[in-house]
Amino acid sequence: MSNQPVLELKNLTMQFGGVKALNQVNLQVNRGEICALIGPNGAGKTTVFNVVTGVYVPTQGEILFNGKSLKGKNRHNITKMGIARTFQNVRLFGEMTSLENVLTATDVHSKSGLIGSMFTTPRSRREERAGREKAYEILEFIGIDHRADQLAKNLPYGDQRRLEIARAMGTSPEIILLDEPAAGFNPSEKKALAELIVKIRDRGYTVLLIEHDMSLIMGISDRVAVLDFGEKIADDLPSVVQNNPKVIEAYLGVPADAS
Amino acid sequence: MDFSVLTDQFASLTFDGIALGFIYVLIALGYTMVYGVLRLINFANSEVFMLGSFATILVSTKIFNYTIESDPITGFKLVYTLLAMLLGSMIVSGLVSVLIEIVAYRRLRSRTSNRLTSLISAIGVSIVLTEGVRIATSSAPMGSPRLLDKITLVTIWGADIRLDTLLVIVFAIILLITLDLFVNKSRLGKGIRAVSMDYDTSRLMGINLNKVISTTFLIGGLGTGAAAFFYITVYEMTRFSIGFELGLAAFTAAVLGGIGNIRGAFAGGIALGLIEMYASAVLGTQWRSITAFVILILVLLFKPNGIFGESLQQARV
Amino acid sequence: MSINLRDSGATLWANANKWQRYLIAGAVILAVFALPLLEGTFLNTPSTPFEMVLFYPIGVYVLMALGLNVVVGKSGLLDLGYVAFYAVGAYTAGILSMHTKLNTWEILPIGIALAMLSGLVLGAAVLRLRGDYLAIVTLGFGEIIRITALNTSAVGGANGITNIPNPPTTFGLKFDLDHPRSFYWIVLILIILTILVIRGLSVRRPGRAWESIRQDEDVAELMGVNTYKYKLWAFIFGASVGGAAGVLFASKAMFIAPNIFSYNVSILILAFVVFGGMGNIWGVVVGAVLLSYIPEKIRFISDARMLIFGLVLIIMMNLRPDGLLPRKKREKIGVAGEKSK
Repeated sequence: MSNQPVLELKNLTMQFGGVKALNQVNLQVNRGEICALIGPNGAGKTTVFNVVTGVYVPTQGEILFNGKSLKGKNRHNITKMGIARTFQNVRLFGEMTSLENVLTATDVHSKSGLIGSMFTTPRSRREERAGREKAYEILEFIGIDHRADQLAKNLPYGDQRRLEIARAMGTSPEIILLDEPAAGFNPSEKKALAELIVKIRDRGYTVLLIEHDMSLIMGISDRVAVLDFGEKIADDLPSVVQNNPKVIEAYLGVPADAS
Repeated sequence: MDFSVLTDQFASLTFDGIALGFIYVLIALGYTMVYGVLRLINFANSEVFMLGSFATILVSTKIFNYTIESDPITGFKLVYTLLAMLLGSMIVSGLVSVLIEIVAYRRLRSRTSNRLTSLISAIGVSIVLTEGVRIATSSAPMGSPRLLDKITLVTIWGADIRLDTLLVIVFAIILLITLDLFVNKSRLGKGIRAVSMDYDTSRLMGINLNKVISTTFLIGGLGTGAAAFFYITVYEMTRFSIGFELGLAAFTAAVLGGIGNIRGAFAGGIALGLIEMYASAVLGTQWRSITAFVILILVLLFKPNGIFGESLQQARV
Repeated sequence: MSINLRDSGATLWANANKWQRYLIAGAVILAVFALPLLEGTFLNTPSTPFEMVLFYPIGVYVLMALGLNVVVGKSGLLDLGYVAFYAVGAYTAGILSMHTKLNTWEILPIGIALAMLSGLVLGAAVLRLRGDYLAIVTLGFGEIIRITALNTSAVGGANGITNIPNPPTTFGLKFDLDHPRSFYWIVLILIILTILVIRGLSVRRPGRAWESIRQDEDVAELMGVNTYKYKLWAFIFGASVGGAAGVLFASKAMFIAPNIFSYNVSILILAFVVFGGMGNIWGVVVGAVLLSYIPEKIRFISDARMLIFGLVLIIMMNLRPDGLLPRKKREKIGVAGEKSK
């Protein structure tokens, strides 16, 4: 595995009023790895995702994607550059079919806009067909192709979570940010999901993963970063992090404020 | 454009502007408080004002049997008649406001989070009320008997300080102080503030949401009803479309002051009243109704949180 | 019952092959074109000849409802000032016919272009605002246009513009008071074109972008949809349809005045869209036809028309927010499903 960074957070601080949700966080995610981001509730994990994808503008610090700063970039441009994400609470387009959900994402790289579609130019026809093939292929890869024509809101919960991943993959990202993809899963579903994440990595994507299930994380992560109260307190191999006293304290100690 | 009008009548325009401003402030409460609690523009509030203005006139003509030709009255009789008109307007407006919440919002609130649905439903209520009154009055305006003689009390810098305008300002200030005390001190007022700050948590904390929301609509309606009474006292005329005309201006006032923020509504209302008076002096009264829209658009474009307002995320209501 | 009607229609369509589809579509279009022949039957309207009612209100309102549907129904942007674009189209026709010798067909593209331009300007300014603010600002914009026309003597002030010429005789079709059906056919052609374009857009990228914006704008943006651009397109597209309706209306009525373009028209069109079913083309068409025909047919409703439309808004939102014919539920096995077998 190379140590070429895809995503770098440099001295990232995110302040809401008087609260520092992130404080001087440095993080590097390398190409082709599964990097896990863990920490107690409210540690700032989702805030990292939100800052990286442009939902929040950081108070301080910068984010580099393939060495280029994301400063001042629109959210949809960040996605187009190659960063995709899922959401902690499933946020699919419920009134669209699974295939359309993914298609909406594959459209990012389509060149024909409204005019092309209005007059059905050959390019829009071609892109539409290519998009459908690609979206369908992704659904197959994730294993929910049999749901392609069902409305997203009617899918079983687990498939909704998988569809979120498929939709993120639809944008052809270099890095995928997964926000608690296994939330609400039973052990066998978690196991299948872990395999899927590895499969996604093996397909060439870089994965940054927020998860609470330690066994899942320890099993598949190449590296684990730990956040606590907006600060990074550890960043190492899973086995090392597991025995880090600071991490253990963050999870078990001072419980009153840990929420 | 004629700027000399502005300089010649500056004091008089200012005085009238402040009086109009207070009317806007009171209507703006109906928008701003509901927005604070539900994060929705209460589209039907303009019709609450319209109904209040009709109620004001009807109390004087149907209950006290005054007619448009009646002479002004004085003394104790004047006081209790005006009070009855004010109360009549406030009661009608308050009740209508609460009813609007039940008809247009309550059902939808429990079933869907789609804002578009609630908004369209409220627009429907607004149309039904306007059209109902239009048909009932055959589109005719309704004049109010002049019970309060518009005597000039003093003249300051060429501005006549008239009894009716002064009355509006004094009463409005009293009402606003009462409201401010209620929201900041009473238990229900605290409930309203809590819901404004965090809807979901308030519910979890056992606040009776329906009660808080109804109270908010009631207070908004009472304020709007008072505004209708003051409007009639000064302008002595109403018609079915009055809500559309004044309601949007009042909404602008609420946005100008930072919607969801009661004290902001105060500043926004006064500012808008003044701007409208000055603008109509310079540009001509036919452009007055546009002033509010133009200001609204400019504010939303350049300062969406309002000029006087705190940010929407903090310190609401 | 209405649901079954839609479903059986959809099933019929889905099971038909290409030629059968052409046949069905052709037959339906032919029947709709032949509607003026029913003048004098049970469809007759008491105060205005049926042929005229077919053009205005029905045809013009169906066209406008289709345009507004892209904005409100597909993209979820509540535009309460849609009448502004109608007014821009009508006033373009009025002003150009006063000062130039252009005929209706030459004015039409100019009217559409100017309406699109005003859509662009308004949209660029307000589309960054959240939903309910958007509603009130568009409402304000509609009023600004109307009051400006009212106070501008160059466009006739409150008296408006009179003597706007009818379109010239085209392909042997006469356009005047004695030939109302020609106007109906023209508006019908525009309606069909609009439907074809919207259908085309709906199943491609713009349709998905609009749909995603309506459902969850934040997520759409994070999935790479340039939401601002597509909202703007929705606005411009809606504006162009409204502008076309305005030009046609002016050329038929020969007279326009500011009070024709009141806030009520925006609400009227909104009621059509909501009643028929937001986002569904056929629902919107059916809604607009019913709600504009019924007040013409039953005269005592006429004065209470707006009142009824207000009630329609409340009742539909509370009981059937998806409208008479809701958006198609695409649960059946489609193209991709067949591929998987």
